[in-house]
Amino acid sequence: MRKPAGRHSAHLPGLVRRLPWLVLALLAAFPLVAPAFGLEYYVGFVRRVLIVAIAATSLNFILGYGGMAALGHAGFIGVGAYTVVALVEAGVSSAWLAWGSAAVIAGLAAAAIGAVSLRTRGVYFIMITLAFAQMLYYLAVSLRTWGGDDGYGLYTPLEMGAWLDGAHAQVFYWVVLAIAALIFALFSRVAHSRYGHALRGIRDNETRMVALGYPVFRLKLAGFIAAGAVAGLAGGLLASHNAFVSPSLMHWTQSALLLVMVMLGGLGRRWGAPLGVALWLALEEALKMHTDYWHWPLGVLLLLVVFHAPQGVSALFERRAGKEAAR
Amino acid sequence: MSLFRAEGLVKRFGGLLATDHVDLAVERGEIHALIGPNGAGKSTLVNLISGLLAADAGRVVLDGVDLTALAPHQRSRHGLARCFQITSVFRNDSVRDNLMLAVQAQSGSSFRCLARRDAEHALQQRAEALAQRVGLTEMLDRNAGTLPHGVQKRLDVALALASRPRLLLLDEPMAGMGPEDSAQMVALIRSLASETAILLIEHDMDAVFELADRISVLVYGKVLTSGDAAHVRGHPEVQSVYLGTEAPAPLTRRREAVR
Repeated sequence: MRKPAGRHSAHLPGLVRRLPWLVLALLAAFPLVAPAFGLEYYVGFVRRVLIVAIAATSLNFILGYGGMAALGHAGFIGVGAYTVVALVEAGVSSAWLAWGSAAVIAGLAAAAIGAVSLRTRGVYFIMITLAFAQMLYYLAVSLRTWGGDDGYGLYTPLEMGAWLDGAHAQVFYWVVLAIAALIFALFSRVAHSRYGHALRGIRDNETRMVALGYPVFRLKLAGFIAAGAVAGLAGGLLASHNAFVSPSLMHWTQSALLLVMVMLGGLGRRWGAPLGVALWLALEEALKMHTDYWHWPLGVLLLLVVFHAPQGVSALFERRAGKEAAR
Repeated sequence: MSLFRAEGLVKRFGGLLATDHVDLAVERGEIHALIGPNGAGKSTLVNLISGLLAADAGRVVLDGVDLTALAPHQRSRHGLARCFQITSVFRNDSVRDNLMLAVQAQSGSSFRCLARRDAEHALQQRAEALAQRVGLTEMLDRNAGTLPHGVQKRLDVALALASRPRLLLLDEPMAGMGPEDSAQMVALIRSLASETAILLIEHDMDAVFELADRISVLVYGKVLTSGDAAHVRGHPEVQSVYLGTEAPAPLTRRREAVR
């Protein structure tokens, strides 16, 4: 009896370890098989899910692992998107330069905003990050040169480089997938590093961390900057994805929505952000097809999650996987 | 020269003078107890020394280094460690992870973000050595939050020891403990005296008189007197304000009611 049981439990962690690769393979194959099933439209949808998941992963990092309840994350997405607009307006056509700059400029914005906001705690931190994001929103509304309220259309796609652009209609999809996979792998790795452990320590008991000799403020600020930069990168990609940028990208409701998606997936859990984003956007898409009043079923779903899976959907999976392994 | 000196420390909370020009010295190898009735400002003083509260006036000097302008985490790096009155451990983590976190703060950068921390053998070894030091080897993989109170307190002390402090501030380490846990803690504190000087705040008079080389009495934010056990026991003002007028008989017996 012992042997098969042992083999089974040795098997499952192997599956869990391979799961990211399996997901990656399925996502990579999707644009190739989608036409056969008439699902071409959904290639664009999945691309959007991936981009939003990048932003959500960075939010999950500071909120779930770092305990920083930032309600202005969409602000950094907006900074990234408008960086792309500014560069296109200035005649830049390289996608890599534009997206890279989006990350850098958003990182700088996060450094400035974080340096002020991270001196506060709790509700004050929520309010001050919200206030900064709203300032960015109104700044974008007032900037006539970049379209103001009406937004800014990016009529010619950015160039990714000689062989990439003409290779396949869906090259942009794979580029987004590669970036999303890289970001996911990076944050998963950081979670187990010295820095990741320190960040979680700060989340759980900040005073003790100070007494242990940790430079708590600088550690938090580093995480905040990294998260802002990654959100900016997502914003740059989103600008390309939509071929359009408007201030509504960084309205505070977008920040709140991002928070909701991360919480739905599971705060501070490896799969929390991508799962939450995929679930929320897929349900939104499905409900929109049947009713104009798609907000309320999503609200009901959120209530169900709060009461029955307060740790998020990924916690349910983890619990099940744990049970299987224990069996 | 004293290992540690607090000079003229002042802290005001609005109209309340919580710390009133306190001078305090701790010698090398000394266990120095700080006693005083509730509300005397003992915890405030510990927070001023460790830097969690900013003093309105005064200086804090450890081993010739003026720590007054330093943030609490920098004071910790200069050899000042502390425990908390309310047990302060990482409740959701294992004892091992608690100790790893404490050890990690002392060697190398915590900004390293790619290499797996648990693969660092030096950290593992130091964490295990700490566990052994306070008798937690058997519980390395237990969740800290599930441990009995007395054991959590010992973990709290171990976290502070990770920095190899020169001065250890213990804020009521015996609070809420039964006699058995108290006895273990007393033994642990005594064994620490060879490694670090200790400033001990404690209500448990048995423990204080057993452990302390010197005792300072804090009343209304002021140091009333400082001296060895006999001196404090015999001090008439101490007897009236802190220990009740009918001393000294209860002095040796008295054990502050647990919370």
